[in-house]
Amino acid sequence: MSLTAERLDRIQPSLTIAISTVARRMTAEGKNVISLSQGEPDFDTPQNIKDAAIRALANGETKYTDVSGTQGLRKAVALKFKRDSGIDYKPEEVMVSTGAKQVLFNAMLATLNAGDEVIIPSPCWVSYPDIVTLADGKPVLVPCSQNNGFKMRAEDLEAAITPKTRWFMLNNPCNPTGAGYSAEDLKPICEVLMRHPHVWALTDDIYDSLVYGDFKPSTIVAVEPRLKDRTLTVHGVSKAYAMTGWRIGFAGGPVALIKAMDKLQSQSTSNPNSIAQAAAIEALTGQQETVEEMRKVFEQRRDLVVEMLNQAPGVHCSNPDGAFYVYPSIVGCIGKTSKGGTLIKDDEAFALALLAEEGVATVHGAAFCYPGYIRVSYASATEQLRDACTRIQRFCQGLH
Amino acid sequence: MSAPNTATGPAPNTATKPGFAKRLSGVELAASVQMTIKARELKAAGKPVITLTTGEPNFDSPPQAVEAAHQAALHGDTKYPPQDGTRALKQAIQRKFKRDSNLDYALDEIIVSNGGKQCLFNAILATVDPGDEVVIPVPSWIAYAQMVQLCEAEPVLVTCPQNNGFKPRPEDIDAAITPRTKWLILNNPNNPTGACCSAAEIAAIAEVMRKHPHVWILSDDMYEHLVFDGFRFSTFAEVAPDLKDRTLTVTGVSKTYAMTGWRVGFAGGPKPLIKAMTVMQGQATAGISTVGQAAAAAALDGPQDGVEEQIVAYKRRRDLAVDMLNAAKGISCHKPEGAFYVFPNVAGCLGKTTIDGRMLNNDEDVCLALLEEQYVATVHGAAYHMSPFLRISTATADDELAEGLRRIQTFCEGLR
Repeated sequence: MSLTAERLDRIQPSLTIAISTVARRMTAEGKNVISLSQGEPDFDTPQNIKDAAIRALANGETKYTDVSGTQGLRKAVALKFKRDSGIDYKPEEVMVSTGAKQVLFNAMLATLNAGDEVIIPSPCWVSYPDIVTLADGKPVLVPCSQNNGFKMRAEDLEAAITPKTRWFMLNNPCNPTGAGYSAEDLKPICEVLMRHPHVWALTDDIYDSLVYGDFKPSTIVAVEPRLKDRTLTVHGVSKAYAMTGWRIGFAGGPVALIKAMDKLQSQSTSNPNSIAQAAAIEALTGQQETVEEMRKVFEQRRDLVVEMLNQAPGVHCSNPDGAFYVYPSIVGCIGKTSKGGTLIKDDEAFALALLAEEGVATVHGAAFCYPGYIRVSYASATEQLRDACTRIQRFCQGLH
Repeated sequence: MSAPNTATGPAPNTATKPGFAKRLSGVELAASVQMTIKARELKAAGKPVITLTTGEPNFDSPPQAVEAAHQAALHGDTKYPPQDGTRALKQAIQRKFKRDSNLDYALDEIIVSNGGKQCLFNAILATVDPGDEVVIPVPSWIAYAQMVQLCEAEPVLVTCPQNNGFKPRPEDIDAAITPRTKWLILNNPNNPTGACCSAAEIAAIAEVMRKHPHVWILSDDMYEHLVFDGFRFSTFAEVAPDLKDRTLTVTGVSKTYAMTGWRVGFAGGPKPLIKAMTVMQGQATAGISTVGQAAAAAALDGPQDGVEEQIVAYKRRRDLAVDMLNAAKGISCHKPEGAFYVFPNVAGCLGKTTIDGRMLNNDEDVCLALLEEQYVATVHGAAYHMSPFLRISTATADDELAEGLRRIQTFCEGLR
C-alpha cells in the first residue's frame, strides 16, 4: 500500500524549489542576493496592531474561540466589507480562518465532488489549481493575455462554463500580474455568471487596498448584488496590514456555504490563533493611515520597477493597477545566450541564469501556469529595487 | 489541468443553485460545541448555567509563553514562517520528545500545526484514500471518525468496555484489522474517558501491530502530562521502538500549558510521512501564527512547575467528581487514570421520568433534561460512540464543579 493518498499524489511538486534552493545556497555562501520573489510586504506590522495583541495577552485571551472566529472579529470584518466595498454581511455570514488560504481550502473541500470543474483565469497563484486538485476537482485554466492587461474577457468565461462547472475563481487584484478589475470590467463577467445559476463565484480581494493611479477596485457582489447568494468574498489582513505571519484571513458569503466551511474547519484546525484575532480587529477598525502610507510607497516602487524593466532589452512590462507584483514578458530574451554562457531556452532558464549571474531572485511564469514571463515582487526597499533592476538591465544587455 | 471547453452548446446544467460536496455529508459540528452553544444561550437568557462540556483548562497560559509572544510581536516576528514550523520551536519540540519520552526525532521528522487537530487532519488526509479503513477504539474523540469520513473512508470502531477500564483489548484490535486498514488511532489518556494504557498494555497492542506491517499507528498524546496517582505515561514509539518508523506521535501545548486558543500542536514521525503532512498543510493553511509558535517554544523550554500545580488540581477534582457521581442514584462512575474528564454510566437513569415529566430513553435525553431542568451542561456518550454515558469535564473551578455535581445528584434523586 502506498503511504500517500491519491489526492496528495496529484499535487505537483513546487516549481520554485530549484530557484529557492540556489538562492539559499548563494546567500549561505555570502553572495549578495536580492530577492524579488517574496509574496509579503517588507513593512513591519503597524504598532497599534501589535499593541492590541499585547493587550489581548495581558487580558488572557488565550482560550478557544468560536471555530469561525470571535464575535468581535466577525463584526469588524462585516464593518470592513461595508466600509471598503459597500457590501453588507451579517456576522453569521462571516468566517475567519488561518489565512485566506484556509478560506479557499475550506470552500473547495466543502463543495467539490470528483470531476467538478473550477474556472481559474491564468496567470494565477499556483495554490488555486493545487487546492482544487486536492479536493478532487478539475482546474480549468483560462489564459488572460498581456494584450488585455492579463484580465479575463467575458466571452472566454462564457466559453469555459460547462454543466460540470462548480466555481469561477477570481483574484482581484491578481497575484502574479497585479491586474485589477474595475466595476466596469466586472460588469460583463457578472452578466455571464447571472446566466449560469449552478456556478459559485469566489473573489479573492486580498490585495484590493493596494491599488494605484486612478484605478478604483470593485468586487462581484458590489457590481451585481443578485450574485451575493452564491458568491464568496475572500479577504485578509496579511497584505494590507503587513500581517502575513499572524495568519488571519476571512470571507463573507451565504449562510449555507459559511456553515459548511465552519463544519470543515471545526474538524481540521478549529479557531485561528486567538491573539492574532484580537490583532486583526484592531487592524480592521483602528487607524487606516498606515495602509495609505504603505500604498504610496508601493506605488512609487511600481513606477520605478516598470520603467527600469522596460529599459531592459527583450523585456516588456505592463503597468498594473494593484498588488505588489509586476509580470514582465521575457519572450524577447528566449533563444539567446547569457554572458555566463547559459542558453535561455525558457522562463525558468532566464530566472536561474539571472540568479546565478546577477544574484537577483525572481519567480518564473511557469510557476503561475503562464510561461514566458517572470514575476517581480516590489515588496523590497526602494534602493534594493533600483539595484536589482540595474542588474536585470545588465543581464539583458549581456544576452546575445 | 485541462484546456477550457470551447465546444458550443453543452447540455445546460439545470441546477438553480450551486451545490455542496458529498464528503461533507455525515460531518457534523462536534456535539460538545453544540452543547456549549446551547449552554451559552441559556446563560444569555439569565439562567444559572454550569458548563461541564469544555475540553479546555480553566488556567492561564504560562507567563513565559505570554512574554515570548509579546517579544515576538514587538520584534517584528510577524512574517510568513516556514510551513512546517520555525526552527526554534522545532528544536524545543525535539528536546521535549527526548526529555519526556526518550524519543529521538530529527528536525525533518517534526511538524508544527494549528493544534494537534491539524496534525491528525494532515496525517489522515495525506494518506487515506476512499474505501480505506481506520481502526478507532471507542469511546473516542469524535474528530477522528469525522476526518476519516471526510476522506470518504471507513472508520472501524473497536469498543473498549467499561469493565476493561475503557481500554482497547489487543485481540479486538487484531480482529478489526483488514488488508484495507491504513491506521490504528490510539489516544492516551483518552478523551472522553480519561483512561490511559500502561506501558505493558501498550506493549501488548504493539505485539499485535507487528503482525500487520501495512498499518500505521497514530498515538494522540495530547493529555500525556495529566495523569494521577503516580501513573507513568508511556507513548507507543517509546514502548515499541522497532515500530517507530510507522508511528506518528502527536501532542501539543493546549492541554498541558493551558494554551488552547494559541492553536499550536505538533507531531514526530518518519520523514516521508512528515513530508506528506507538510504538503497537505501547505495547501490548507501554510505556516502557523508566529506569535503562537514563539509562545509554544517558551512553554516547552520554560519551568514546568505550573504543570504540577494543574495535575494536583485535576486529581482533586477527579476524585470529587467520581465520589459525588457514585453517590448519585442510578449513576456509576469509573475512576480514570488521567485527562480532565470522567465518563459516568447513566444506565440506571434510563426508563425513568424527571420531575418535570421528561421521559429518559437514552443518554442524550439525560443530557438535555439535565441542562433544561438543572442548568448543568454535559455531553452525551453517544457523541463519543458509546452509550449510555455522559462526559463531564473537570476543567472547571472546584466550587463550580461541586455545585454542578450536586445538581446532578438532585436531578437523579428526582427521577421516578
